[in-house]
Amino acid sequence: MDRSSHLSVILDLCPTQWLLSAQPSNPHPLSFDTFLSHLLVFLNSHIAYKHENSLAIFGALPGKSLLFYSSEEAGDPSTAEVVQPDPNSYRFFKTVDQSLVRRISREFDILGQPDTEEPCALVGALTKAICYINRLLHPAQSLSSPEDSANLPDPRILILSVSPDASNSYIPIMNSIFSAQKLKITIDVCKTFGPDSVFLQQAAYLTGGSYIYLEHREALLQYLVMSFLPTPSIRKIITVPTEDKTDFRAACFCHKHVVDVGYVCSVCLSIFCQPVPVCSTCRTKFPMKTLQRLNMTRASSLTGTGASQPSASRPTNGTPAKQVYTGLAANLR
Amino acid sequence: MPPRRQDDIMDVDSDESDASLDYDEPRRKGKGKAPKKKDKRKSKVTEVPYAWEASYVRSWDTVQEDESGSLQTAVDDLIARGRRKRLFAPSKAIRRTIIRHLIIILDLSNSMMDRDMRPTRFDLSLEYTREFVNEWFDQNPLGQIGIVGMRAGVGERVGEMSGNPPDVLRAISERHKLEPTGDPSLQNAIEMAKSTMSHLPTHSSREILIIFGSLTTCDPGNIHETLESCIRDKIRISVVALAAEMKICRELCDKTGGQFGVAMNEGHFKDLLFELIPPPAQHSTSALTSRLASGAPANAPGSAGGDLMLMGFPTRLPDTSPPSLCVCHSEMRSQGFLCPRCSAKVCDIPTDCDVCGLMIVSSPHLARSYHHLFPVKAYRPVMTMEETANSSPTCHACAAMDTGADGISPLGRYRCTDCSNDFCTECDVFVHDVLHCCPGCER
Repeated sequence: MDRSSHLSVILDLCPTQWLLSAQPSNPHPLSFDTFLSHLLVFLNSHIAYKHENSLAIFGALPGKSLLFYSSEEAGDPSTAEVVQPDPNSYRFFKTVDQSLVRRISREFDILGQPDTEEPCALVGALTKAICYINRLLHPAQSLSSPEDSANLPDPRILILSVSPDASNSYIPIMNSIFSAQKLKITIDVCKTFGPDSVFLQQAAYLTGGSYIYLEHREALLQYLVMSFLPTPSIRKIITVPTEDKTDFRAACFCHKHVVDVGYVCSVCLSIFCQPVPVCSTCRTKFPMKTLQRLNMTRASSLTGTGASQPSASRPTNGTPAKQVYTGLAANLR
Repeated sequence: MPPRRQDDIMDVDSDESDASLDYDEPRRKGKGKAPKKKDKRKSKVTEVPYAWEASYVRSWDTVQEDESGSLQTAVDDLIARGRRKRLFAPSKAIRRTIIRHLIIILDLSNSMMDRDMRPTRFDLSLEYTREFVNEWFDQNPLGQIGIVGMRAGVGERVGEMSGNPPDVLRAISERHKLEPTGDPSLQNAIEMAKSTMSHLPTHSSREILIIFGSLTTCDPGNIHETLESCIRDKIRISVVALAAEMKICRELCDKTGGQFGVAMNEGHFKDLLFELIPPPAQHSTSALTSRLASGAPANAPGSAGGDLMLMGFPTRLPDTSPPSLCVCHSEMRSQGFLCPRCSAKVCDIPTDCDVCGLMIVSSPHLARSYHHLFPVKAYRPVMTMEETANSSPTCHACAAMDTGADGISPLGRYRCTDCSNDFCTECDVFVHDVLHCCPGCER
């Protein structure tokens, strides 16, 4: 119960999105400076929470991801940033604050003002965070002793996301989620700006974390401290807001419609909203017999329900579709 | 009796170390093993007169300590060995059977009470079967497993075909219901497994895994006819034998394209089982058809079982929805999934809808299989200092400093051929075995 916890924070540092977020025309504008000051208070409270708590901060920049700060690096004098001692502040707080701010501004300087902006390397940051936690959980054999395994930290990842989903990152994100599940890492997501992210919703749901969309963005610190500071073991006792609306329906590969009943290639698992003769992903030819059978059932279901597309909004309970479909079941067996 | 109790504890300890460290022995399959097994038994008889002493001896027979007295080298060797195996494996994407159907045939005959594996062959195989089922479902989320027992000369249905791991595990959880007795019958059990899978569509695989401890089988008819019909139905049979090789077992595997192995000890038994977990490549049927119709138009890749399947993506009912009866257990529950075709409520997915038979999956289940289709390329070990001249001093993934030499790379560095980033030993193994996504390429 009283184990130390490890927190990996992933910062989405997409310059365009942060610019948009700071626009005064937004109902609740949030500039990057305010965000950073809120975040630093949150990070300090995580360190203050328990002495053994550890911290790692990863940044997802356009086309690049890197480790900004980690507790073990800060503890090692050879690699740590030089921090002027300040008698009025706690040394660990000072180290985190200074090195994080310094490195972020350094990266933004390197970034300059490119003509085209690459998408943010969220996947890179997420996979690095998982590899880092994997190393923490499986320390080198020579160092490990039996009592060490008892006080391994309770790991979690907090993603502060501002950019929308990139569709080509679906498979790597799902792979990361499954490895996080295996390592028992909780992934929390705080969507600070931009549209809801379906991928990150799934990440939070599948790993038992919470996904929170900020409505009042000026109250960021409140959200962070109230819902993301408690460790997963404490969250069993106190009630933390969670998202219970995660949508697991899939989108077809051909028209990106969300489908209820899809046609799936048995070789590569591509999803189509209508029977196709050749798989567009792996070029598998499907047998004529299957196509005819599927087309027949599809035609009858369309005329029966009067729906124009199978991908149209799903029939709610009690529509005529129900009887037609149960009748169909016999044909399909 | 205090001394006796001490013995028991020791016994358990040595067994565990045995199971985890026996990888060190050279892996051999099939024929090479049977004589080895006999040798071991003979030596056991000559050196150790009592069965309870046998288990101690082996654990320090197999593991070599290094000069400083630690087992680190043995463990390093184990990791390196695994890596070497992966480097030689083809890294390009091969077509694999994703939708699998497997019947596990457990030998429940008298010979399973033999104590040559601790605590008994029966208990050990039950334990490993449980682990196997968990791992199998983890890697094959769209698969289904059924369980058949061979007991007293008949095949006995222990667990129905199911895609839900708890259901399968429940079937083999009650040890007293599976108490071994009588002789096994391979033919009866295979016939039963075959009939369970006869209705399956062609794009799914049909597999049988036999855990066989006996050296005899008492069959009512000609087992070669059963074998012929299995070949015709494209059923792949794999056998893990616990005693010794039998000609008929070897033939069952060879002719149907399965794997055959004789377990030398506990660790090797587990290895043999777990080798069957990754989805098999779909080459056997396609290779056969292409060989037969070599002059025919290039329809071989398409005809190798590719098919379009109808699948339903259900609506998840949240925990706060009003409770209603589910079709699978007839229990009042609030959470569940609605079949998109017939609106029946099922408790767990993936499954086939109990009312309309539609295959119900969620998109994460499909995504869980993708890594078999798009594997990460093997990293190349960095051999010389010159190569590291302009790369970062730390691991690209976990930011660890250089870890030092291991079994393969003298620097403990592995480089991705696509993004030319360097990774440490630990991350190399983790990326390829668990993560399935290169942190440098982000693919």
